[in-house]
Amino acid sequence: MIAFTFNGEEVPAKEGQSVSAALIAHELRINRHTRINNEPRGIYCGIGICFDCLVTIDGVVNQRGCLTVVRSGMIVESAK
Amino acid sequence: MNFNHQIIIVGGGPAGLNAAKYAANAGADVALIDSGVRLGGQYWRHTGDEALDQSLHHNFDQGSLLIDAVKANPRITLYLESQIWSASVIDDSIVLRTSKDIFITKKLVIATGAYDRSLPFPGWDIPGVMTAGAAQALLKGSGVIAGKKIVIGGTGPFLLPVAAGMSSHGGNIVGVIEAAGKAAWGKGFGALLKNPAKALEGAGYLNTLRKRKVEMRFRQAIVQAHANADGVLEAVTIANIDAGFKIKSSYRLSCDVAAISWGFTPDNSLAGALSVKQRVNCDGAVVIDVDSNQRATHPNPAIEIFAAGESTGIGGSDLALAEGAIAGLAAAHSRHKANQLRKLRSKAQKFADTLFKVYPIADGWKSWITPSTTICRCEEVKYQALTQARETLAAETPRDAKLFTRCGMGLCQGRVCARIVSDLFDGDADERIRSNYRPIIAPITLGELAEEGLL
Amino acid sequence: MSNNSDAIVIGAGIIGVSTALALTRAGLKVLVIDRGSIASGTTSAGEGNILVSDKEPSAELTLALRSRDGWFELADEIGGGFELEAKGGVVVARTDGGVNGLRRLTADQRSAGVIAQDVGGAELRTLEPHLSHAVLSGAFYPQDAQCQPMLATAKMAQVIRTRGGRFISGATVTAILSTAGRVRGIETSQGSFNAPIVINAGGTWAGEIAAMAGSYLPIAPRRGFILVSAPTPQLIFHKVYDADYVANVASGEAALATSAVVEGTQSGNILIGASRERVGFDREIDFKVLRILARQAIELFPILSTISLLRAYRGFRPYAPDHLPIIGQDPLIEGLWHNAGHEGAGIGLAPASAELIVDGIMERTSFMDHSTFSPARFTVESKS
Repeated sequence: MIAFTFNGEEVPAKEGQSVSAALIAHELRINRHTRINNEPRGIYCGIGICFDCLVTIDGVVNQRGCLTVVRSGMIVESAK
Repeated sequence: MNFNHQIIIVGGGPAGLNAAKYAANAGADVALIDSGVRLGGQYWRHTGDEALDQSLHHNFDQGSLLIDAVKANPRITLYLESQIWSASVIDDSIVLRTSKDIFITKKLVIATGAYDRSLPFPGWDIPGVMTAGAAQALLKGSGVIAGKKIVIGGTGPFLLPVAAGMSSHGGNIVGVIEAAGKAAWGKGFGALLKNPAKALEGAGYLNTLRKRKVEMRFRQAIVQAHANADGVLEAVTIANIDAGFKIKSSYRLSCDVAAISWGFTPDNSLAGALSVKQRVNCDGAVVIDVDSNQRATHPNPAIEIFAAGESTGIGGSDLALAEGAIAGLAAAHSRHKANQLRKLRSKAQKFADTLFKVYPIADGWKSWITPSTTICRCEEVKYQALTQARETLAAETPRDAKLFTRCGMGLCQGRVCARIVSDLFDGDADERIRSNYRPIIAPITLGELAEEGLL
Repeated sequence: MSNNSDAIVIGAGIIGVSTALALTRAGLKVLVIDRGSIASGTTSAGEGNILVSDKEPSAELTLALRSRDGWFELADEIGGGFELEAKGGVVVARTDGGVNGLRRLTADQRSAGVIAQDVGGAELRTLEPHLSHAVLSGAFYPQDAQCQPMLATAKMAQVIRTRGGRFISGATVTAILSTAGRVRGIETSQGSFNAPIVINAGGTWAGEIAAMAGSYLPIAPRRGFILVSAPTPQLIFHKVYDADYVANVASGEAALATSAVVEGTQSGNILIGASRERVGFDREIDFKVLRILARQAIELFPILSTISLLRAYRGFRPYAPDHLPIIGQDPLIEGLWHNAGHEGAGIGLAPASAELIVDGIMERTSFMDHSTFSPARFTVESKS
């Protein structure tokens, strides 16, 4: 078991899981709000095509949560 | 770093893996490039935990054997976590760039696979609505069930493994909503009977669903999604539809995940960037045009480009394996006639063609859309912006619609919405093919671009 | 429907449509023809620049100043809706030589009526907080503006239609018809159309159109690339470019000339240019050029190195050998007018160029003497 944070909240994860999967397993379904209309978005295509699963990881923006494997201590925030 | 290889294969799913194996066994020096952390593509997406993977896949042995064979082959060099962002032909060689490396070859096999095709409907952008592929990826890639109350919708045989997979791993599937009629669906099973392995597979899924009392409903479609006060999915509206996909009546079903599959569409950005000839297939998808040796057409005679798998037409893993093998042999200039493989390919192609007929997607989905339905998810362009472009700005073509509204200009560069807009504006074949032209295949930071090596 | 109009405009890009709109203001019935759809040529590759900052005192600057005002008058006239914004331009210099050159330029520009403020390093950074420390000083041009060229063209087209104007897309001009030195119409792939006035606004292909009338316009393409970033929270607040941009615009070099041009947009994407090279109509994306553009942008704004590139596209600027637009009546064929060759300034110069054409047609005094732009300057070499 490893853990990372999402917007400051600790989220458990298993080795090899994607960030999006770990968030979903923890019932965190909204990873961002859209920039124009501030609408909530969650995972959509799950395979890196749609860019809806965006999060900021360790300060780097526009990361696809569905493609990024969780690492212990990752600091994940909603995409802006 | 720069890497030169005799044959470069892009895509580590069934087609690419088999192309690599056959090309290497024919004596060629092969590179296999994939953007993922593991081989397998979408079809054989796995966690790396063998017990879990066996339970998640219908026939994981086939996949893991092939993956192991490729890994063990000394003539195959693997480049994982390598996302190609540009492809060009320079001095009679194909040059592929990732953010770290440059790959050079005169022989390329494109096996870049496909992704779920989307049909828009009111609320399809609510968190909790996702493609069936997403639900599948969550399960097979991370061992996670997408939600607590899952409805699966769309059309086609893919609904079954998605439903059965989640169900047998503890998922609560509250309904499988199939747009095709039960009779037509039964016809599909006729095709399956000619394909015993597939028939067994299908029967296995149905058995799982029956045992877990998961109900399949036919001639229905998810046409609206509803959010709760927190903004996440709480229910869908399911419609009884006619053969044209028009709504006859509807009802509400509460759920927190709607996983929807309307078939697949190839991601041929790599082919487009290289100006490889493409065409529109019978299902409306833009595919790479190949000959009987899986050879694609490119104006430069000094290079050879091949394509295999979903990128030449949606057809499933058996077809991808056969095409991959033939492409690998052809790329390696093998003299092997590959008659068995060609027979397999032919049989798989027929099966795939039957599926298109049994699970058609009719135009009536356009009637599900309302003015406030999001069409371009990335740029949040609603349908009313498109109708306004048509009415007040005289937008006639999909190109006009896209340029006047920003549809397709966001991060996904039209992968989700371009086909939708082409359909809404009756785009012709040229327009559809041009929509797939993405010289920047994947995002790259300006810093990476600025630093890039000598080519 | 009648095949007769008061005026036919060839080309539905920003120049053609602006001209057609100005003609409708003068009460004329116009027909606009394009072989593609609206703005399908260079206009759709434009950034939407409306600049006065990048021109030395000259006829072109006079045109640009008038045209800039024309854009805002146009927004009032047709109700906006094309993201017109007086964003302001910031020009920066990184060397002492560059600083001195820029000071001289701004002084000259001020005497020609441009509002140009010399800005020191500290003040520059209140305008653009993310500017590299290598930038020494610069100038601020509050008049510089930007619009969305596709929307602008489409909106103008819609107004033209409400005033009785017509558009025919997908019609390739095959002949320009004239009798005894007077134009009378055109032939196209969709039929013949008659008018006593024909305006060649064929953009990068205006030379081909002119040739159909036996006329000579030496217009050639000068390819440029633009990088488009993923949408970001606002980092860049103006159009920002290096002082060497002005020299590049004026240069006649065939070889690649690049200079850093960076700007934020309303939609959140950052646009990065600018490159100029004479490679004919080579449509291939040249990644070497993209790399230079990225490097230059990062030199101005180091923070850009972490920003993602989303797409890149190219356009073909139409230019004449003397880098001046071609605006006026054909010297040999009465009634045939040319409005072309605006190189990289087509969007900015469109309203005033249109005004000059209509003044000429209506035989009114123009706001400026535009003999410098006359097509006649090429006819000593015209083919017979």
